[in-house]
Formats: sequence, structure tokens, C-alpha cells
Amino acid sequence: MMAAVGAGEVITQLESAAKVLMAPPSMVSNEQRQHAEHIFLSFRKSKSPFAICKHILETSKVDYVLFQAATAIMEAVVREWILLEKSSIESLRTFLLTYVLQRPNLQKYVREQILLAVAVIVKRGSLDKSIDCKGIFHEVSQLISSGNPTVQTLACSILTALLSEFSSSSKTSNIGLSMEFHGSCKRLFQEDDLRQIFMLTVEVLQEFSRRENMNAQMSSVFQRYLALANQVLSWNFLPPNLGRHYIAMFESSQNVMLKPTESWRETFLDSRVMELFFTVHRKIREDSDMAQDSLQCLAQLASMHGPVFPDESAQVNYLARLVEGLLSMINGIEIEDSEAVGISNIISNLITMFPRSNLTAIPSELFNSFVNCLTHLTCSFGRSAALEEVLDKDDMVYMEAYDKLLESWLTLVQDVKHFHKGFFIQHAVQVFNSYIQCHLAAPEGTRNLTANGVASCEEEEEEINELQEDDRELFSDQLASIGMLGRIAADHCIPLLTSLLEDRVTRLHGQLQRHQQHLLASPGSGSVDNKVLDELYEDIHWLILVTGCLLADETQGETPLIPPEIMEYSIKHSTEVDINTTLQVLGSPGEKASSIPGCNRTDSAIRLLSSVLRTSEVESRATRANLTDLLSPQMGKDIVWFLKRWSKTYLLVDEKLYDQISIPFSAAFGADTEGAQWIVGYILEKVINNLSVWSSEPDLANDTVELLVTLVERRERANVVIQCENWWNLAKQFANRTPPLHSLSGSVQRTLMKALVLGGFAHMDSEAKQQYWTEVLQPLQQRFMNVINQENFQQICQEEEVKQEIIATLEALCGIAEATQIDNVVILFNFLMDFLNNCIGLMEIYKNTPETVNLIIEVFVEVAHKQICYLGESKSMKLYEACLTLLQVYSKNNLGRKRVDMSAEEDQYQDLLLIMELLTNLLSKEFIDFSDTDEVFRGQEPGQAADRSVSAADVVLYGVNIVLPLMSQDLLKFPSLCNQYYKLITFICEIFPEKIPQLPDDLFKSLMFSLELGMTSMSSEVSQLCLEALTPLAEQCAKAQETESPLFAATRHFLKLVFDMLVLQKHNTEMTVAAGEALYTLVCLHQAEYSELVESLLSSQQDPVIYQRLADAFNKLTASSSPPTLDRKQKMAFLKSLEEFVATVGGLLCVK
Amino acid sequence: MADADLDFQTGDAGASATFPMQCSALRKNGFVVLKGRPCKIVEMSTSKTGKHGHAKVHMIGIDIFSGKKHEDICPSTHNMDVPNIKRNDYQLIGIQDGYLSLLQDSGEVREDLRLPEGELGKEMESKYEAGEEMLITVLSAMNEECAVAIKAMTK
Repeated sequence: MMAAVGAGEVITQLESAAKVLMAPPSMVSNEQRQHAEHIFLSFRKSKSPFAICKHILETSKVDYVLFQAATAIMEAVVREWILLEKSSIESLRTFLLTYVLQRPNLQKYVREQILLAVAVIVKRGSLDKSIDCKGIFHEVSQLISSGNPTVQTLACSILTALLSEFSSSSKTSNIGLSMEFHGSCKRLFQEDDLRQIFMLTVEVLQEFSRRENMNAQMSSVFQRYLALANQVLSWNFLPPNLGRHYIAMFESSQNVMLKPTESWRETFLDSRVMELFFTVHRKIREDSDMAQDSLQCLAQLASMHGPVFPDESAQVNYLARLVEGLLSMINGIEIEDSEAVGISNIISNLITMFPRSNLTAIPSELFNSFVNCLTHLTCSFGRSAALEEVLDKDDMVYMEAYDKLLESWLTLVQDVKHFHKGFFIQHAVQVFNSYIQCHLAAPEGTRNLTANGVASCEEEEEEINELQEDDRELFSDQLASIGMLGRIAADHCIPLLTSLLEDRVTRLHGQLQRHQQHLLASPGSGSVDNKVLDELYEDIHWLILVTGCLLADETQGETPLIPPEIMEYSIKHSTEVDINTTLQVLGSPGEKASSIPGCNRTDSAIRLLSSVLRTSEVESRATRANLTDLLSPQMGKDIVWFLKRWSKTYLLVDEKLYDQISIPFSAAFGADTEGAQWIVGYILEKVINNLSVWSSEPDLANDTVELLVTLVERRERANVVIQCENWWNLAKQFANRTPPLHSLSGSVQRTLMKALVLGGFAHMDSEAKQQYWTEVLQPLQQRFMNVINQENFQQICQEEEVKQEIIATLEALCGIAEATQIDNVVILFNFLMDFLNNCIGLMEIYKNTPETVNLIIEVFVEVAHKQICYLGESKSMKLYEACLTLLQVYSKNNLGRKRVDMSAEEDQYQDLLLIMELLTNLLSKEFIDFSDTDEVFRGQEPGQAADRSVSAADVVLYGVNIVLPLMSQDLLKFPSLCNQYYKLITFICEIFPEKIPQLPDDLFKSLMFSLELGMTSMSSEVSQLCLEALTPLAEQCAKAQETESPLFAATRHFLKLVFDMLVLQKHNTEMTVAAGEALYTLVCLHQAEYSELVESLLSSQQDPVIYQRLADAFNKLTASSSPPTLDRKQKMAFLKSLEEFVATVGGLLCVK
Repeated sequence: MADADLDFQTGDAGASATFPMQCSALRKNGFVVLKGRPCKIVEMSTSKTGKHGHAKVHMIGIDIFSGKKHEDICPSTHNMDVPNIKRNDYQLIGIQDGYLSLLQDSGEVREDLRLPEGELGKEMESKYEAGEEMLITVLSAMNEECAVAIKAMTK
């Protein structure tokens, strides 16, 4: 489409295509639309479209066509950059800019697109320094000083376009350039041009902020420049010397903090800049849109850090000005809803980014006012957040602001040593009290009250879905902060929580008793009003959550320590405490604490614990009185959650971990104390009671078994647990599969089994140990053997009773596997191995019962997952063999089977997913291996198994052999299955490339087909995996030097695929590395074929200029690596040249 | 593999069609009776009425014979009926008048099962005519039976 031949014709064609695209859907057919789209696509791909585009821009009246012309110019400039004269690029840029200037009434989207083209030209030009940016700024500043709002808006658009084009590599237009290029452009830009933009913006804002009475048009210009200022202040300053990988990571970070380079010092330390933004906000704070920008600007300024500050005193000065400005901005105003989040962001950034030493260095009066202000805002936002909840607002601005401020508190008080002792106590008391108040019911609290103190209309019984998180997770951050503040003000908060909780439990007890009497007096009478109960449950719910977070931290893995504040608090008061009374209060959850003589001399932290135990006891007694229907499962969850958290930290406290220990603590729950024994017994009883009365509440049952696991997962605790008779009863009861335990859900039964096994590794004499295993593990085996060894098992295996028995056994096996630890793997592996062999038999028996087959595979998955990393060679072999046999049986029973029932596909999908998980687990042995050549099994085996009959590779390849034929294209549409499958294939190619050529023909072919399919028509993630698999395959070929093998032929085919992908198709730049590595290795292997590919590509070029450029580019590509060899250095050089190659000629070749 | 024991003609002599189970112990992929029909549970979720309410279980099941979807919601303490499901493999030895002739382990031949409609039925017919030996899986529950799968016999 040359301008000379029928430019008018082209325009007519484009205009009518635009009409089709703009027409309402009902007016044009799909084909018409596609055709029209095609016209534009091929127009944009046409060669050197500059003349015709200019022509279009000057003559056409159709906006959409103008837009497309601008796009075409932008794409063509980048594509043909190396073919264009610098002067013509220069004049193109001038043309575009003038064009926009002369047409103030252009549609916004057309104008922005043209400016984008300008920005792209400027950016591309900065690479070869051919285009000078300065010219543009001169023009823009003239536009700004024109005073004409329309022109000023245009100037702002130009700056915005430049800014976003240079700002990051993800936001920029895809112009096919490398990360390094984007990075170095950005670095140049941020040192100079960015500051120019900022200065221009500041001037405009200053000018406007001086004006009274702005009209709407001026105010809209003002808003645009404010947004631009925000963009500059949110600039993610790229530090020098950041590698490509890090650039991407760096730029993906959200919430950019302002860290300007040193050259910005003068600009940002100028006090007028910060002042300006405070002034601006004051001026526009009632406009909620603009206020968001101005507050965000201030928040960015509050986050400033890094080399911009020459020394600490400069930083302190800056901070002092900031705090002063903030306080004078907030004081005396009524904060608007739209300001809450912005203001809390400023505070949060300031507290996070400035070191504590800075905070204490500002004038103390100023700092005091700041903390007072923070306290006041926190309480006030908290109350407003509660109101939002009552009104069920969609947009919870105060909740967000409250979260931010509570988080800031946590940061602030974490380094208490910088502040004088007790500095924060009064503030903490205020924030803590207001939190409690918002969460308690009237009269003490304000829960569900509207602003004027009226109870909100009756909350309807709304359905709560399982997907909704529990409050303890939903508000975990808030609770962590409140817990921390509670510790700081322990003297106030612990007694407060105790008295509130004791009071609510007493009322709950009374209320339940009244219900019971009512039921006894008139049995069967209608339902009772639960409103009072629900209010009490909700109060108790929050009190327990806060108590749990105050007394202990949540940790994963490591042993959580008793918070130092709590320890100090207990020690400080220990002289006023009577140990015996304390123990009596602790040990009497059935009584009110206040009824125990001398109860005021109880250790307060222990009394708080005992108030939770009292709650637990009231609950348990209610279940025994058949009042379970009236109880709240939520409260039940809160109680076991608390007990778990508390036990981890306090139970059998290890005195060695602390400098000083509270006497009441060590007397009440230290090692070898009656107190500890009593608590373990109490918790165990609670667990057993819960599992029987709450088996129908899945979450509560789950939290309960998790508590049980906590009790036994550490040996010191387990030692105490197994001394309880109840523990043995639980074990026996579970082994007998009697109700109620067997009506627990599968996952709960699994975890219960895990706990029972863990308990067996407590310290016992050998006789007790023998007895324990006799009662826990052996019944499982016995029952199982009894079932499967029945003579008529074949006939009765389908009976539901038998199936249930088998399913329960399989679940238990998964639980046993989950209990694996390095010190018990010997026993558990040997025990499970017997079962695994029997499970294979079951697989045969239940071959047409998919739900059982699925669970059997799961047992193998779990065993491999938990144990393979500890197994030495001969044990691994046993497991490999078992897995291999399992897969053989599965394959035999499923090949050639066709099912039509509804869930056939779903069942098969689940089987295959599990099998692949199993194979991946087995493979993981290759990189995670803790075994020390059967160290853990030493002495266990009569001589090593000498012949290595099966290897992981064999099992896995055999598995793949099974999976492949079953893996239909339909099944690959399940994304999780597809990803798992390709992960496995890539693993195999990377770990056992030498096995690939030995595969049976069919398997080899389908493997290669899978790779090709994955590379060409799956997601980019899969495509990358396949490319990664190619390199080791090609290397394998090179090593073997067999030019006849099928693998050699296959790699030749892949060379062409990868070549086309890299050179001819537009591909994701992230893929360049994986594809480049694959290409290089393939090129090494097939040098002649590669030359042919290049030759044929060149010979198809008509244009001699392009031919020459391409030929040069190809020469350069391989210059550093000829002849190509599998040498790392050469490979890296190739990859580097490849990037340049793609950047310079990639675009040329994609043209149709 | 068939150890034909003539004393045990079928195993289900005294087995009842369904048995009760607490709702919370049901599992996804398991079976339950919904609206009087044996169903495979394809989805299960719990909910509660209000924060302090008790759990209710919401189940979606698919009728194992008709493929129709059924739903139910009930308190998790309730007992639900679970159907006794059996699957048996028989060798196909003939097709007559739209009925299958199946060889039982006992050596007897049953001829009371319809050739299923649709693709599976057609495949049975064509494979049978081609002389391929195959096993037919018959699914039975609550006094209803249906052929649901074929599998080529391993020689």
C-alpha cells in the first residue's frame, strides 16, 4: 500500500472498515467484523507507511482511522528504525507534535495515541542518542506559559505520555527491546528529564495554588498536573547496576517508596516543595478525587529515604517539617471520609521509613503531639470502621485506614527501647480500650450501634458460607497489633480482659441454666429466643481472640517464646501473688474464680488463662446436659484455637530459653509439675469431648485434632500426654472404629491418626511402647488383614460395610504417613510397606470402584511424599517396586476401558493427577535426599540388596508410559493437570536425558509430540517448560554422537521450530532466554541445517537493503561463537547477541 | 480370577439397599440418596446460619443412572441414606433383541440387561460383531442396574 498508488482508495477502504467496526453488533456479521479487523491489521503491518499515514492524518475525518494511522506510524518507526534516516525520524516527530497542537479538538483517544507515538520515538531515539529530548521540554514549557487551559492540558498530556513510556518496562509499549535497554533509558531519564517534568509541574501547581476562585476548566487542568506530580513522586527510581532479572522483580513491586538518587537532593530538600503539597491539599481537600492525589503526593514525600539525604540531621529536619505540616493540616479540621486512607498512608509511610533515631531526634513536644494525634486518629477511625460494618458498606475506607494505623503502631512499638520506659502505655490503653469497646455489645460496648447510639435494625440471620474466613484470620493483623498494645499496657489490659471474660462467662452460665430449667419444666416447648445467647457468644468470641493474641504469638515451626512483656509483668507482681491460690484458681474451671478465697492474690496472667478454661468448662458441662443445640460452634473453635496457641508457648515452659522466669509460671506449667499434668489432662478431656459432641462441625473438629497434634508433636509434651489414661482410651476407641469417632470426616480421621502415631514416639519403657503399638497400630493391621483374608472377600468386597472398613484403613494409612519424622521413619516405613503391597491387591479387587482406586493411589502419594527423602538405596528400591507394580495394575485395568457414567472424566482426571504427583514425588529423590546410605536403617537389614533392579528413572518413565496414552487432549484442558504433566516431562528430560533415546518407539514419539504440542499451542508457562526440556536433550545427542538415532532426527525438527519461533513469530520476551538457550544447543548440533535455514530466509528477501541488514545481523549473531561449541562462555555470548538481534531485526521479519 | 463358589450366588442376599450415615461423614466422590435417587456427590460445602449457628451441609449429587442433578441442604448432624453400590464385571457373550447376554462368575448366563443407549451401546454392538472379547461393568444400586463401562479382555 504505497501512498502513490491510490492513497484515496486506501483511505476509503479504511474508512468503510472503521464504519463496520464502530457499528452496533446487530448491524454487522461476525465475518464482516473480522474482515474489517484484518484490514487494519495488515495496514499496520505494511512497509514504510509514513507517507500514507501523514496523508490520512491530514485528510480523514474518521477518528478511528486517525487512531490506527498513529498506531501504524508508531509500530513502523520501531520496526524500521535501522532503515530510516535520522532526519526523517526527526521530522516525523515534529509533524506529529505540530499536528496535535494545531488540532485542539481532536478526540482524546486519538490525541493520546499520537502523543504515545511521539514518546516512543523519543525513547527509541535515546538509545542511539539521535533524538534530543530537550527540544521537547522547551516546547512544552512554552505551551504551559501560554495560560490557555486547552494548551496547558495538551502540555500535560505530552509529559504524561513521556513519563509512562519511560517509567517501567511493563507499562511501556512493546517495542521488542530488552530489559537492559528499558533499564538504561530509565536511568538516563530519571537523572534529568524527570526532574524537568517535576519542576514544570511544581511551577504549574504553585501558580494555581495562588489563585482564588478557579473555574471548572482551570480546576480540571489543575487536577491533571496534580496527578502528574503524583506520578513523578511515585517513580520507582532504578538504582544503578541492577541486573535484568532484578529489574523485572524490582518493577513488579507495588507501593513504591520514594527513593530518589542523589541528584535530586536540591529539589526535594527545598522546603517549598513539601509546603506546596500541604497548601494544595488544604485548597482542594473537599474535592474527593483531587484530595486522593494530593494526599498520595504527601504520602510519597513521607516515604522519602536513601542517598537524597546528605546526613542524619538533614533527615531529621525533613521529618520535623513533615510532622509539623501534617499536624497543622489535621488539627482543627473535621476529616472527610475520602481523606481517611490518604492520611493513614502518610503516617504509615513516615513510621515505616524513618528510623526510630530520627523520630526521637525531633523536638519532643512535636513528637508527643504526633503520638497523641496518632492515638486520637486510631480510636476515631476504629469507631468509624465499626460503623461501616454495621451499615454494611461496600467501600470500607475507615477499615482500611484503621488497618494501616494499627500496623503503624506495631512498627512503632516494636523497638520500644528507643523511647523512655512506659512512654506508650497511656496511648496503648486508649487504643486497646476503644478496640474492646467497639467489639462488645451495649451497654459497655458499642457493637452494632449506629452513630447516634441506636441499636441497628435486627441483624437478619444471614447465611455464612464456608469460604468466608474466620475472624481470627480475617482480622489477624488487627488482632496482632491490639495484642501487642495490650502487652505494653499489660497492667491495665490483662485485668480488664479477665474481668470482662469472667463476667460474660458467668452470664452465659446463668443463661444456659435458665434455658435448661425452661426445657425441664416444659419439654418440647418451642424454640427459645437465642438473642441474649448470641450477644454473649459474640462478646466471648472477641475476648478470647484478643486474649490469645495478647498472651502468645503465632509462629510456624519454631518454638514461640512467652512475650517478654508478659513475663516481666508476671515477675513484677510475683511478690503479691500466692502460688497455692493461683494453682487453685487454675485447677478449678468449674468454679467462679471470685468464689475462691483469696482469689485476688492470683497471678493475673494465669487468672486470664483460667477464665478461658472456665469458658471451656461451661461449654463442656452444657454438652453433658444435652444443651449442645444452644451452644455456639464458633465459640468452641475459639476455645480450642486459644488452647493450641497457649499450649505451644506456655505448656512445659523450657526455663533454659529465658533469662529470668516467673515463679508462678514455672510452678503452674513448668516441667514435672502437677499443674502441667493437670492442664494436659484437662485439654485431652476437652479434645475427647469435642470429638464426640462436635463431630458434625467440620471446622471445629478440625481445630480440635490440630490441638491434639500440638500436644504430641513435641516430645516433652507427648511424654506427659501418654501418662494420661484418656489418651490410651482415645487410641483404643479409634482403633475399634466405634462411634462417635468413626463419623468424623475423612480429613479429621487422618489427622487423628497422625496424632496417635506421633504420641507413640514419646518416651516410654519398652514394655509400654510394645503395648502402645499393640493398641494403636496393630489393630489397624489386624482388622485389615481380617477383612481381606476372608475367603469370600471377592464376593463381599462391594458391600458397603466392607468398603467403609477399607476406606477407613486407607485414610488411616495416609495419616500414618503424615506423621513421618526423621526419627520414626524406620518403624513407619516398615509398617506401611506391608500395607502398600496389600493395597496393590486391593487395586485389582476394586478395579471398577473409582473412589477406592483414587484413595489407594493417594496412600502411595503420601508415603512417597513424606518418606522418600529419608530412604536409603534398598528401601527406596522397595518403594519404587511397589509403585511400579501399582502403576502396572492400574494400567492393565484402565487401558481399553470405556466408561459412560457422569463422572468418568472427572475420576480419571483425579487418578492421573495423583499418579503424576506420585511420579514427581519419586523424582524429588534426585534433588532432596536426607538419607545417609541407609544410615537410619542400619542394623535393620540382613545385607544390602545387591542388585539394583529398579531405579527412580525406570519407575517414572514407566509411569509416563502409562499416563501418556490416557492423557487425551480433553484432559489437558484441566490447567492443573496440564501444568503438572509438563512439569514432569521437563523434569525427566533434565534429570535423565540419557534415558530418553532408550525409550520404546511409541513412548518416544508421544513424548516428542507432547513437547511440540506444549511448545506451540499451550500457555506461555508450558511453552517455556518445553523449551527448557530441549537443551538437555540436545546436549545428550551431542554427547552420544549418534547421528542415526530418532532423538537426533527429532532435535533437527525442533531446531526449525525454535528458529521460526524466535525469528519469525512475535513471542513473549520472557521466553527469549529459554528459547535462546535451546536454539544455541540445537545450532551446535545441526550447524549445516542452521545455515540452510538462514540461507533460505535470506533468499526470500526481495528488498536488497533489508537483505543486507539481515545478513549482517545473522553474521553478528554467530560471530562470537563460530564454530559454535557447547561452551558456557560461547553460549552466554550468543544469548547476548541474540537479544540485540531480536531488537534490531526482530521487527523486520515479523512483517507480512 | 473367578473362583466360582456355587454357594454364594450373589453376595447381596441380605444387604439392604441403603444405610444411614451422619451427614458430616459423607465425602465428595462418595454416594448419597437425594430425592429418593442414588447419587454421586460432586460438590459439598458447609454453611451456617449466622456466626454462631450450627453447620449445614449443602450437597450436589448426580443421579448415577440418569445423570440428573439433585441438590439438598441439611443440618450436618442429620443422618442421610447412603446407597449400597455394586459394580460387577461380566463377559459379554451375546446381544439379542436389544438385550445383553452376560456370563456370570457362577457360570450362569443372565439376559435381563438392556443394551445401553447411545455411544456405549453402539460400541458394544460393533465390537461384539467384530468378535472382540470384552467385559461389561454393571452398576447396581437400589434395585436398579445398568451397564456403564466396557473393557477389552486381556488375552
